[in-house]
Amino acid sequence: MAKHRLLAMFKDFDDAIECIEEIKAGKLTGKEIDDITVLSPIEHPDIDEILGPRPINIQKFTFVGAIFGCTFGFFFLSAAQASFLVQPQGGKAVVPFPTNFVLMYEMLIFFAVWTTVITFLFLAGLLRKRGSLYSEKLTVDEIGLMVEIDEHQLENSRSFFKDNKSLEIREEKA
Amino acid sequence: MSLSNILDNLSRFRQDAESERYGHHDYEHRFGMAIDLDICIGCNACSTACYAENNLPVVGKDYFEQGQAMHWMRIERYWDDEELEHPERGASFIPMMCQQCGAATCEPVCPVAATYHTPDGLNAQVYNRCIGSRYCSNNCPFRVRYFNFWSFYESSWPEPLNQQLNPDLSVRDKGVMEKCTFCIQRIRVAKDSAAREERNMIDGDVITACAQACPTNAIVFGDTMDPTSQVSLAWKKHEVKRGPYTHKEAKSDEEIRGYRVFDELNVDPSVMYLERVRDSEV
Amino acid sequence: MSQVIQDKVIDENLKWSKINHDLIRTMETPGKMWWTAVLVCVAMVACAVAAEIYQYKYGLGSVGLNNPHMWDMYIATFVFWIGMSHAGTLLSAILHIIHAQWRKPIYRFAEAMTTFSLMTAGFFPMIHLGRVWNLYWVLPYVSDRGIWPNFRSPLVWDAFAISTYLSASALFLVIGMIPDMAVLRDHTKGWRKKVYGLMALGWRGDDRQWRNFRRTYMLMACFLIPLAISVHSIVSSDFAMSIMPGWHITSFPPYFVAGALYSGCAAIMTLFVVLRYFYRWEDYMTKNIMEKTCKLTFAIAMVWTYLNLIEFSSVWYGHNVYDKELLIDKATGPYAAVFWTMIICGMVAPFGLVFQSWRRHMPTMFVMSIVLQISMFTERWMIVAPTLSMSHAPHQWDILWGSVIEWAIVFGSFGWFSLLFLLFCKFLPAISTYEVKELCFHLKHEIEEEKREAEQKAKNTSAAGSQQPVSGSPGLEGA
Repeated sequence: MAKHRLLAMFKDFDDAIECIEEIKAGKLTGKEIDDITVLSPIEHPDIDEILGPRPINIQKFTFVGAIFGCTFGFFFLSAAQASFLVQPQGGKAVVPFPTNFVLMYEMLIFFAVWTTVITFLFLAGLLRKRGSLYSEKLTVDEIGLMVEIDEHQLENSRSFFKDNKSLEIREEKA
Repeated sequence: MSLSNILDNLSRFRQDAESERYGHHDYEHRFGMAIDLDICIGCNACSTACYAENNLPVVGKDYFEQGQAMHWMRIERYWDDEELEHPERGASFIPMMCQQCGAATCEPVCPVAATYHTPDGLNAQVYNRCIGSRYCSNNCPFRVRYFNFWSFYESSWPEPLNQQLNPDLSVRDKGVMEKCTFCIQRIRVAKDSAAREERNMIDGDVITACAQACPTNAIVFGDTMDPTSQVSLAWKKHEVKRGPYTHKEAKSDEEIRGYRVFDELNVDPSVMYLERVRDSEV
Repeated sequence: MSQVIQDKVIDENLKWSKINHDLIRTMETPGKMWWTAVLVCVAMVACAVAAEIYQYKYGLGSVGLNNPHMWDMYIATFVFWIGMSHAGTLLSAILHIIHAQWRKPIYRFAEAMTTFSLMTAGFFPMIHLGRVWNLYWVLPYVSDRGIWPNFRSPLVWDAFAISTYLSASALFLVIGMIPDMAVLRDHTKGWRKKVYGLMALGWRGDDRQWRNFRRTYMLMACFLIPLAISVHSIVSSDFAMSIMPGWHITSFPPYFVAGALYSGCAAIMTLFVVLRYFYRWEDYMTKNIMEKTCKLTFAIAMVWTYLNLIEFSSVWYGHNVYDKELLIDKATGPYAAVFWTMIICGMVAPFGLVFQSWRRHMPTMFVMSIVLQISMFTERWMIVAPTLSMSHAPHQWDILWGSVIEWAIVFGSFGWFSLLFLLFCKFLPAISTYEVKELCFHLKHEIEEEKREAEQKAKNTSAAGSQQPVSGSPGLEGA
């Protein structure tokens, strides 16, 4: 069955939240809260609340990156120091823990930051085309709700959004 | 491979200057000096000999005034009485060169490990590796490291003076740090010939250019690990020991005059000076 | 009425389309002023490049360095620029974590300043090398000779710390700009639309993107704070890890960090005034925010003053002969003029920030911020030079004022930084539209909430008040 994507625009967060609440109450047939995507110019805490728990997994990767950076740092540094052909000793130990901690610390942060950013690009679904179903008003002050709809429910959904103070409805074939 | 290297030798890699072995190395020699300031007449012969032996560039008056001279061995002059009738007479001399510290402050700060500690107890400078960050010199309390601020070689030895250059060591270009090596090229030759003759090095096999040139024999050079060497005997006689600084009791005898410069900084210098007995005190 | 608006952080009724417009209008085709400024900066950079070519060809003697003075202005200027880079982290990371809302309109240019001052600072350790063509030996690459950089050297820590800090702060800047890039993509035309479209990475502002974006931003802020602290501590270890009098000081790491935040705040004040004036951004860079920045600067100035005095007194009572002589010589010797400039500009001048009328007067604040910068520059100078002039060995005592070559490169570094900043202002969003929108949104909500509460209270009191006469009236009547 052909699917359609709808983008309904709203004047402000209050209208959009009201509409989401309607969907949550089951007013839009066949659609649940997890099926909708909210597009907004800024982040709004109430939206997160009403959408319910959606996963954020970046911190796990960050943690792994940090641990890797730290342990890799230690072994890398001490292995390199031990393999010196000549030792610039200066009365200090060849593998000095106090000074190696400084560089382990830096490498921890280095790897943690890079894994965070790379994970972010993937998990946030960036680095791909924005898609044609979009309105430039989304970067000004309007809020959009995006839903995927079966063809036979198209009419029904349009009127649902119109009843819920939607300013404009854009659509495209999925 | 490297990992097993660490695990097998960790205890060795953790040795520092205050440990039993004085560090990572098993020292073969620890070369040192004893300089008697009572005998030194401040004639600068040591300095001149050093210029000849180590291919030191003569920088000329202008650069000297700018403080860019390259004298590895310099005679420092001090006056402690400002109201001297004849200031020329009252100066004290101290020949100052790299002290080849056991816990050298210059070594750990070099970003590329261009200066390191040899099993001969020397503080070696690798010219090829040096990138000229000059941190070593900044961290040297004696200020005895010299930097090639210009390409001195271009003008220092005009033809035919370049014929007098010592072929045993290189001529340094701009951007490289250098300093007294205790005439490492002579040590190398002595070690090699001792090895060829299948014997251990003995006292007197090596003599540095400065010690050789000193007209009053104020400079004694030798291996401080060899208990019979002249320098060891001098150190022992004047109650100076290798190793970290320990607060010493007053010397028992006025004849015992040994001290090491900036000993309290705990850098373990390899040069012992014998205190000058001043005219006024006599 | 105007007084009331002025005292807000920002007017919460700003139209969001106006915010977008106010950003985009500053990024249109540059005018004469911009071109003149760019030309001046390029000329300054040209001076430095010429000087560097000369120095490269003839050696570091041309800088006027000599045996006791192996380092001089290059390292001092390096520390100065690294210090300035701490402002962006302070505003965008520390104030972000403690939820200081007023940072939002001004943090973007502070962050850019971080990246650019690091890019300026990074040049100095290279320029000051004797053999700069062997620079890559400091990097830990695998070599078949088994040679590595010496990981014990604070200079190698510098290389690690600065590359980590530069990449982290540049990523932080770029990530933070993504939603603004989307704004620019949607509201500009021509080549700009294409370029910003690429840089927006396909941002459309859906809830998944925002959720992950916020978390990433927070995580990076959490890493940037300890990183910034460690970077300047490591820069201070260049000095503190040595054994030289006046360098080997335990309080150096916190002292350097305080000094860094201090000079960073002063730089923010300078650029604040400049941007506010030239871009007519009075709506965003309000006097209220300036006041808050000034208060922050004052607090940091007092921390710095305290650490300075602590250092002096610990040297004095420590009674180490080398350190003490050096301190006396700094205050009375050949560098005395520079030393007292640092004391007066850095410890006395910030007291001007306690006057509200001064804080609200932009030209005064511009002058003040320059005065504070001068103090910070001389501070770094007084850390590096006097120690080398008067260290342990009296035979090697000397004075150094630097040569033309040296000062030309120091001068050029200011041109380089300004050039980067000018380009940034023209091509990248110098104000964060989405954060300003958030700020307006939250302020509006707060005000509405307050109004609602006040109404509620008024209703309650009026209800209570209406009861009062009922119960009291009989008594009154009775009287």
